[in-house]
Amino acid sequence: MSFEPIWGAIIAWYLFLAGLGGGAFATSAFLGWKHPEAVNMRRIAHIIAPVVVIIGLLLLMVDAEGGLHNPLRFALLLTNFGSVMTWGVVFLAGFVVIALVAVLLDFLKRSIPVWLDIVGTVFAVCVAIYTGVLLGVCKTFPLWNNALLPILFLVSAMSAGAAAVLLVSVFRHADEFNMVGVLKKFHFCFPIIEIVLLASLMFITSFNSDAGWNSVMSLLVGEHAPLFWIGLVAVGLVIPTVLETWLLFFSPKEFEESRKAHYLSAASDVGVLVGGFLLRYLIVIAALPVTIVVPML
Amino acid sequence: MARYGMLINTKKCIGCYACRVACQRQNKLLSDEAFIRYEEKETGAYPEVGVETVPLQCMHCEDAPCVSVCPTGAAYKGADGIVGVDHGRCIGCKYCMAACPYQVRVHNHETGTVDKCRFCTVSAAETGTKMSTCVEACLTGARLFGDLDDPDSDISKAIVSDNAQPIAGSLTKAKIFYVR
Repeated sequence: MSFEPIWGAIIAWYLFLAGLGGGAFATSAFLGWKHPEAVNMRRIAHIIAPVVVIIGLLLLMVDAEGGLHNPLRFALLLTNFGSVMTWGVVFLAGFVVIALVAVLLDFLKRSIPVWLDIVGTVFAVCVAIYTGVLLGVCKTFPLWNNALLPILFLVSAMSAGAAAVLLVSVFRHADEFNMVGVLKKFHFCFPIIEIVLLASLMFITSFNSDAGWNSVMSLLVGEHAPLFWIGLVAVGLVIPTVLETWLLFFSPKEFEESRKAHYLSAASDVGVLVGGFLLRYLIVIAALPVTIVVPML
Repeated sequence: MARYGMLINTKKCIGCYACRVACQRQNKLLSDEAFIRYEEKETGAYPEVGVETVPLQCMHCEDAPCVSVCPTGAAYKGADGIVGVDHGRCIGCKYCMAACPYQVRVHNHETGTVDKCRFCTVSAAETGTKMSTCVEACLTGARLFGDLDDPDSDISKAIVSDNAQPIAGSLTKAKIFYVR
């Protein structure tokens, strides 16, 4: 028998954009700490953060048809504090407010206090982790129901956030882009950590149950294999790692600041973003439920 | 207060789907909206093989995952232990559908909300039908409905005599018992 996933691309986009926004804000706070001279990159990060999260929330509302037809029902989202989704609403609301305040302060040419960076980053991390916990509490799906998923989504969120900021910066403020070495090194590490987490998640899940095994196999060798290997593993994780390894550690210094290197870096960042979306998409659609007769490949 | 439950004897079930059709008629469901779904499991070893049909519907769990994940309080457990959906509160986020281990909650494409087996509380209130149309419709008497707290009820006796068990052990403390 086959199984039709309950959530699809819209929810995957939402999970990706929420994480991306959180990652972008955390990147801005990191820039303020380690690269205070990169003022414009910080502004770019401040704008990306609320914009993508708000787009994600709009997608979420479109997917929730019952609420879309009766928008007042969305107010009820704050009634069950036993639900991860309710906590998500709290984190998202707090995050969007803080991120918009940062945009406003930039617009007024006022400096952003350190405490706002810290509180915003805490909310950003909560938003990113919540996207994993949201799926993780569903015992129905072994591919989701484990403690690695929130960590994987958190690392992917930070990775995607930094990639988005670097991608815009390389075209808009290449001078600053050349200066943010520490950020680039952190950004370089994220896909490597993701590979380790993803491999662990899939390895453990495949031993967890029949449904877990079949979910993992649908990614490795089944219907989702082309998207998994080419899209997520190659484009999203391995190619960015290879490109960044070469750019950061093996290319001559003068090449690193050349336009050609910038395009390579941009290609790597696009790859990270594609991978960030595909990670959510594949995790959402490949999960098979624990039922009596577990759906086969 | 009664604590309602159901017994389904898959040894009697012939897989005719009469219970599903009766349920759809009684509850005026859309043609693609069914509260009962079926899983078919191959049993035995060649040459003595068979197919077991297992009807699945809301188990009205005492530890209902749908109720705990529902962000708006639309999924609730009533005083009689029957898990219900308050359609006026449902935003259609489908979180309950993901959380339900039995995959028995369905999305109504017209209203955008989620629905599921009501143990026929709605029909009982509106049309005076005896509870649980699927029980009445079953041709082979594979289904029993009644009060689990009453030791003299037919269902309580049958659960003991047939050693009926929930479909997934103690997971969620389901209130539909299966003879398999």
